Amino acid sequence: MAIRGGRPAARAGRPPATAYRLSWRILDALEAVAARWPARAEGAVKWLLLAPALAVVGLLVFGLVVMADASLRVMDFRTYQLGEDHSTANYVRLFGWGAFHATLWRSLLATLLVTLFCLLLAFPYAYALTRTASARLRRVLLVGLFLPFFVGQVVRAYGWLVILGQQGLVNQALGLVGLGPYRLLFSYPTVLFGLVQYMLPFAVLMLAPALAAIPEEIERAAASCGASHPRTLLRVVLPMARPGLIAAALVVATLTLTDFAMPAILGGGTNDFLANLVHDQFFRTSNAGLGSAIALVLTLLGTTVAALLLAAAGVGALGVRGAR
Amino acid sequence: MRQAPLAGGVALALLLLLAAPSLVVAGASLTAGSIVQFPPEGLSLRWYGKVLEAREVRDALLRSLVVAAVCTALAVPAGTLAAIALARWRFRAALAIQLYLLLPFTVPLIGSGIGLMLLFGELGLLGRVWPVGIACCVINLPFMIWAVAASVNALDPELERAAASCGAGPVQTFLLVTLPAVAPGILAGALVMFVLALNEFLVSLLLVDARTVTLPVQIYTQIRGVITPDLAAVSTVYVLVAAAAVLLLDRMVGLEIFLRSR
Repeated sequence: MAIRGGRPAARAGRPPATAYRLSWRILDALEAVAARWPARAEGAVKWLLLAPALAVVGLLVFGLVVMADASLRVMDFRTYQLGEDHSTANYVRLFGWGAFHATLWRSLLATLLVTLFCLLLAFPYAYALTRTASARLRRVLLVGLFLPFFVGQVVRAYGWLVILGQQGLVNQALGLVGLGPYRLLFSYPTVLFGLVQYMLPFAVLMLAPALAAIPEEIERAAASCGASHPRTLLRVVLPMARPGLIAAALVVATLTLTDFAMPAILGGGTNDFLANLVHDQFFRTSNAGLGSAIALVLTLLGTTVAALLLAAAGVGALGVRGAR
Repeated sequence: MRQAPLAGGVALALLLLLAAPSLVVAGASLTAGSIVQFPPEGLSLRWYGKVLEAREVRDALLRSLVVAAVCTALAVPAGTLAAIALARWRFRAALAIQLYLLLPFTVPLIGSGIGLMLLFGELGLLGRVWPVGIACCVINLPFMIWAVAASVNALDPELERAAASCGAGPVQTFLLVTLPAVAPGILAGALVMFVLALNEFLVSLLLVDARTVTLPVQIYTQIRGVITPDLAAVSTVYVLVAAAAVLLLDRMVGLEIFLRSR
């Protein structure tokens, strides 16, 4: 009703009321509702806009609280219910548990190796990507990075099963020259290989902006001062790309440390990582308490590494510049 | 590149390594034979037809589409409004808010997945399809905010002030000036959220039961048994969706922006 009462002047000059379009009427109505918003609550608008996102992430926070709570309760295997009392029994058990130690070291070693290999391989890829004069090559290299990003881990692991399986591509090729078949799947190196292949795009994407920020003139200057190209790379480009290298290393390290799919599919249950151990606690041994404890340790490890990354990347990691 | 043919060579070799699984899966799906092998034994599209007949796979695909739709429907308004709010208003705790909104990226997936599984379990939401979509929105929301924030940053606030000085109210300015200007960012973000939810595996695995498996979980379950070419056909659909998404993203925002330093 506020519209009709509030707009006599606008209607007076118009012969038929139908000329005033419906979409305008709707906008007027919305405007009128907005005008009712008390001026005192002006500051609440921004919070209202932010509220849905805060609530969505709030689910995650709630989940972590429930998980932390579960990790402090001991599973009662007579009733398959978590006990009422809180204790650190699950954590105490964790630190004395051989399988946990073995899995922890296997995951940490994998994290170290995968990170090293990823950096080693990501550097030439990112360098070619940012330095190539050919727009077509750059585009091909970029699409090659993003395509795997959108092809899920399961599909990619499935591809490796087809390539490396007992009847797979590699064994068929080896068979032609009278070799094999070799058992290539379900081993630690295969899991590492799958992880490197999976993490490489992340590493390149973290590294490329750092390399792009280094002016090519600097390399030319080093060359004109007599430095060979390898020497320029080693002594000039590499040190300048350090922030990008650190960022890439941290992203690859957190993702590797907490990975589930590659050890599960390419390791076939023989090379479990911590995430697989968590899954087994919930779905095989039904020990929600112990599973939550491992998940929380893993979450803390991963979040610490990620926090280091954010600190290194500086403020505004969401890409929001803020009001000017 | 003239100075570094080595880097170019390594990059091309790595490109092949990155593409190998997708190419092999696509090749294997075209086989006329009844086992997965590469190169395929004769060419045919018969396994694609089989996918549509296999109820388990087809249902899983439909569920994954529902998950992706729920995820996108929630992420678009939540992410868009948050990005606009953060870019256009001053918040006293701006840094804390940004760190909080980045939690989905800093908390490892296994942690978020188990947490959401326990939370949804207490709420009685496990074993349904739509909560999986909500979970996918939770873990990928920063992508949506990122995409829109890039567009908002590129939008000159003078434009909104000009609209206001021409007599547009705040709602009109928002709907007719701000939103259309950031639409490319919203579209790009929605696309990323949709495709990632379609692909989400670990969080799905934790949240579904035998009656509500999503497609990635279905593929995971089947490759632990006998590998049949219909699975390769399904996987190829994923590769094609990914290719379409990359091309669309390139059209909308240009992939080269990812090379720019922030």
